[in-house]
Amino acid sequence: MSDTATAHHDDGHLSLNNDNKKLLMWLFLGSDCMFFGTLISTHLIYRKIYPESFDPTSLFSLELTSFSTFILLMSSFLMALAVSAMHKGELKSFRRNVLGVIFFGLIFLGCQVYEFAHFVHEGLTLSTNTFGSTFYMMTGTHGVHVAIGVFWLICMYFYSHTGKMDAHESAVDVEIAGLYWHFVDIVWIVIFTAVYLIEFI
Amino acid sequence: MSQTETATPAPKTSHAHQLHVLKPERSRLGLMRPDHSKSVFIDWLTTVDHKKIGIMYGAIALFFLFIGGIEALIIRTQLIVPENNLISAERYNQLFTMHGTTMIFLAVMPLNSAFFNFLIPLQIGARDVAFPRINALSLWSFVAGALVINFGWLLEALQMMGLFAASGPTAGMTDLAPSGGWFGYAPLSSKEYSGVGTDFWIMGLQILGVASLTASMNFIVTILNMRAPGMKMMRMPVFTWMSLVVAFLIIFAFPAITIALGQLMFDRTFGTNFFNVAGGGQPILWQHLFWIFGHPEVYILVLPAMGIISEVLPTFSKKPLFGYSIVIFSGAVIGFLGFAVWSHHMFTTGLGKVATAAFSLLTMAIAVPTGVKIFNWVGTIWGGRIRFTAPMIFSLGFVWMFMMGGFSGIMHAAAPADAQQQDSYFVIAHFHYVIMGGIFLALVSGIYYWVPKVFGKMWTGSLSTWVAVLIVVGLNVTFFPMHFLGLLGMPRRTHTYLEGFGWSTYNLVCTIGSYILAIGILLLLVDLIRCLRSGEPAGDDPWDARTLEWATTSPPQVYNFAKTPIIPARDALWSHKHGPEGKKITYEDDHGHGIHMPSNSWMPLIASIGFVPLGLGMTLKQAGVPYMGSLAIFGLFVITLGLALWAIEGPGGFHLHPEEDEA
Amino acid sequence: MSDVHYAPLPVSTKSHKDSETDKYHTFVNLALCLAAITGVELVLVYLPFNATFIFTVLLTLSLFKFVAVIAWFMHLLYDKLLLTLAFGTGMAIATGTFVALGSLISRSNVDLDAITAF
Ligand code: HEM
Ligand SMILES: [Cu+2]
Repeated sequence: MSDTATAHHDDGHLSLNNDNKKLLMWLFLGSDCMFFGTLISTHLIYRKIYPESFDPTSLFSLELTSFSTFILLMSSFLMALAVSAMHKGELKSFRRNVLGVIFFGLIFLGCQVYEFAHFVHEGLTLSTNTFGSTFYMMTGTHGVHVAIGVFWLICMYFYSHTGKMDAHESAVDVEIAGLYWHFVDIVWIVIFTAVYLIEFI
Repeated sequence: MSQTETATPAPKTSHAHQLHVLKPERSRLGLMRPDHSKSVFIDWLTTVDHKKIGIMYGAIALFFLFIGGIEALIIRTQLIVPENNLISAERYNQLFTMHGTTMIFLAVMPLNSAFFNFLIPLQIGARDVAFPRINALSLWSFVAGALVINFGWLLEALQMMGLFAASGPTAGMTDLAPSGGWFGYAPLSSKEYSGVGTDFWIMGLQILGVASLTASMNFIVTILNMRAPGMKMMRMPVFTWMSLVVAFLIIFAFPAITIALGQLMFDRTFGTNFFNVAGGGQPILWQHLFWIFGHPEVYILVLPAMGIISEVLPTFSKKPLFGYSIVIFSGAVIGFLGFAVWSHHMFTTGLGKVATAAFSLLTMAIAVPTGVKIFNWVGTIWGGRIRFTAPMIFSLGFVWMFMMGGFSGIMHAAAPADAQQQDSYFVIAHFHYVIMGGIFLALVSGIYYWVPKVFGKMWTGSLSTWVAVLIVVGLNVTFFPMHFLGLLGMPRRTHTYLEGFGWSTYNLVCTIGSYILAIGILLLLVDLIRCLRSGEPAGDDPWDARTLEWATTSPPQVYNFAKTPIIPARDALWSHKHGPEGKKITYEDDHGHGIHMPSNSWMPLIASIGFVPLGLGMTLKQAGVPYMGSLAIFGLFVITLGLALWAIEGPGGFHLHPEEDEA
Repeated sequence: MSDVHYAPLPVSTKSHKDSETDKYHTFVNLALCLAAITGVELVLVYLPFNATFIFTVLLTLSLFKFVAVIAWFMHLLYDKLLLTLAFGTGMAIATGTFVALGSLISRSNVDLDAITAF
C-alpha cells in the first residue's frame, strides 16, 4: 500500500465500500436504461408514424456503422481484459488494455463525427424534420457517453502512473469504469439494430 | 421515562490523541480539508454529516413552503370575487405555475429528503450514508436548481421597473417567470407561446433532477448495504422501507422527464421538431413523457408520508404495526403499478377504447394496495392504548383526509366520469386532498414526532392542538367546495370568472378557507420556533417509541452510535425495552478501533455552485443577454473542476474514540 | 487503532488468478462471437429473405449480444443477485413503458395537414 494514511482510513470498510460503489454503478445503469429507452422510443415512434417522411437508407452507410459497432465491441473486450488485469494486480497489462480501449473509443467518436458531418452536408440537420431531431439527439447522447468514458479512462491511465494504484484499492474503481463502458456498448448494440439495420430490411 | 441505556457518551476531546486526529488532515490533493472546528459557517457549508444535511433540507423546504403558500394566497385572493382584477392574467399564470412547481419540487420533495437524510442512517444503525460527499452534492445542487427556477421573479421585477426587456430568441415575450403550468404542456411551452420563464423552468428542473437522482442512488445503496448487523430487510422500520421504494421510483421515473425536458430545450434553443407541430412533432408525446414521470412522482411524494404514518400510529397506540409485511408489500406494489397508470391523466386526449379501458382498470387496481394500507392503519389503532399527542392527531388527520382524496381519485379512474372532471376544479380538489390533507399532514406529524430527536428539545404548551384544528378546518373549507365548483364546470387555471355562473359563493368560501389554513401553518412555524428556543430537554426516548433512532441521544452525536448496534428484532427499541432476555439490543465490540468518520469537503459545494452559472447562462442566452454562452461554459467548467478535485481529494476520514475516557 | 478485527481482502491468491485465466478464455470466445454476429447481421439485411424473418433474426441476435455482454463482460453472471435485480428492474420498466408508449401513439392520431415540413 503506497498511501498508508488513506488506506488506513478505509480499513475495514473497504470490502463494503467496494460493494457500495458497484451497486451505485448498477443503479445508475438501470436508470440510464430509462434515459436511452426514452430517446430510442422517441425515435422509433416518429419513424413509425411518419414512415414516408424520410428515407435514411440513402444516407446511412452500413459498412461504416458496422465497422464502428465492431470497434466498440472490441473495445469492450479490451476493457474486460483491463479489469481482469487489475484484479490480478498486473498494472502493465492493465495499461496496455486501457490504452487500447481509449484508442478504439476515439476511433468510434471519429466515425461518429464523420457521419454527422456527412449527414449535415447532405442536408439533414437537427431541425430538418423529426428524423433529424431524434436521430441526432439519440446518437449524440450516446456519443457524449462515449466521450465521458474516454475521458474517464484517460484519467485512470494517467493515475496508474502516479503509483497510487494497486489491485487492493483501485480494482473496484476500474471495474465500475468498465461497467460504464460496457453499458455504453450495449446501448450501441440496440441502436445499431433498432436504428440502422432495420431501415435496410 | 425510559430505561434505555444508550451507547452514546459524548466524545472526549481533551484526550491528546483525540485532538490530533480531529485536526483536518491533508487531502490527497495536498490541500488542507476544511476545518470544521474553526467556524460554524464553514462547518455547515462543507459538512457531509447526514444529520446536518437533513436539517438544511428541512429549513430550505420550510422556506419554500412559505413562498409557495404566499403564491397560493395571491391566487385565492384574485378569485375571491367575480371579475376581480387584483393581478393580470399573465401574472396569474406565473403564480399557479410557480405555486405548483415550488410546492412539489421545492417544498414537499425536500421535506421528504430532510426526513430521509436525518432518519434513515439512524433507523438502520449506520454511521452515515454510503456516499457522504454525494449526499452533500445532492443538497447543494437542489439549492442551485431552486435558485435557477426562481430567478425569473428577479427579471420580472427588473422588467416592471423598466430595467430589463427580453431580446434575442425570445424578443417581445414578457413572461420572464415560468407560466406554462407545473406540467409545461407543449406547445404552450414552445418558443412561440412562452418566454424565457419556460427556460428557467426547464433548467431548474434539470438541476433538481440531478439532485434527486444522486440522492436516490445514494440512499438505495445505504439502505441495502449499510444496515447494522441483524437489521434484516424485514426488520427495517416502515419509513425506511417506503423510502427505499421511493428512491427506486425516482431513479426510474426521473429519466423520462429529463429527456423530455432536454427535447423541449432543444426545440426552444436549436429549433428541433420534437414537439413542433409544423415540423411533424407531436405535442401528445410530451404529455406521455411527462406523465410517465408525473404519475410515479405523486407516489414519490406520498410514500414517505405513508412511512411516517406507519411509525407514528404504532407508537401512540402502543401496538406493533398491523400487518407489517402487507404494508410493505402494498407499498412496493404501489410503486410498481405506479409506472403503469400514467395515461389516466390523458383520458380526454382520445387514447382509443382499449387503452382507455386498460388504464382505467389499472388505476382502479392501484387503489387496492392503497386501501389495504388504510385498513392496516385502522387495524393498528384498533384496540390500542391511544395517546392523543400532537404527532398522533396529525397522523389520524392524514388517514381521514387522505382517504377522501383517494375517493375522488377513484372517481376519476372511471374514464367517462373523468371526461367531466378533467381540467376542472374537481381535479384540484382531488390532489389537494391527497397532498395537503395527506402528505402535508403526515409531514407535520413527522415534524412533531422527530423534532425532539433532531434538536433534543421537547414541545411545550398546547399550540399544536390549535395548529391541527386550524389546518384541518382550513383545508376542508378550502378544498371541499372545489369539488362542487368542478362539477359546476369551473375550469382550473382560470384567471377570473363572471357573476351569474353560480361559482361566486363557493369561491368566496374557498378563499376564506385558504386564509384559515395559512394561519394554521404560521402557528406551526411559531410553535416550532418556540420549541427550539425554550423547549425542555427531550431525553433520548420521549415518546416511548419503538424504532432504533430513539436508542441514541437527542440530538444524536456526530457518529450516531458509539458502537454498532446488533439488532435483535423488528421494532428493535421496543423489544429492547420490553422484550425477553436475548431480544435486547447489544453492541459490537470495536476492539478499540474507534469510529471512522468522513472528512468535510468543499468539493460538493463547488461542483454544485457551477450549476448556477450553467443554468443561468443557458437561460439568459435565450433572453438575448450578452456573454451568457460563455457564462454557461464557465459553469460547466466549475462543475468539472469540482468533480475532478473531488476525485483527487479522496474520501479522507478520521477516527473518533468516544469511550477512551472510560478506559 | 489496529486492523486486527478486519480480515484483509484476498488479493492475488492462486485460485483468484486461475479464475481470471478462465475468464480470459471466455472473453476471447465471446469477442469472436460478437464480431461474427455483427458480420452476419450486416450481410443478413441485404439477403432477399422475408422481412419478418430477417427482423426476428436481427432481434434475436442483438438480444443475444446484449445479454452476453452483460453476463460475461460485465460479470453479472458471477456477481450478486442484487445487482441483477437493480439493473433488471430498470431494464424491465424501460422496456415495458416503451412498448406501451409505442402502441399508444399511432398514425391515426396525426393531423398530417398541419405539418409543413414534409
Ligand atoms: C387512490 C389513489 C389515486 C387515484 C385512483 C388517483 C387518480 C387520479 C386521476 C385519474 C387523475 C387525473 C384526473 C384528471 O386530470 O382528470 C389524478 C390527478 C392527480 N392526482 Fe391522483 N389518484 C390517486 C392518488 C393520488 C395521490 C396519492 C396523489 C399525490 C400524492 C395524487 C396526486 C394527483 C395529482 C397532483 C393530480 C393532478 C395532476 C394535474 O393534472 O396537475 N393522486 N389522480
Ligand atoms: Cu396519476
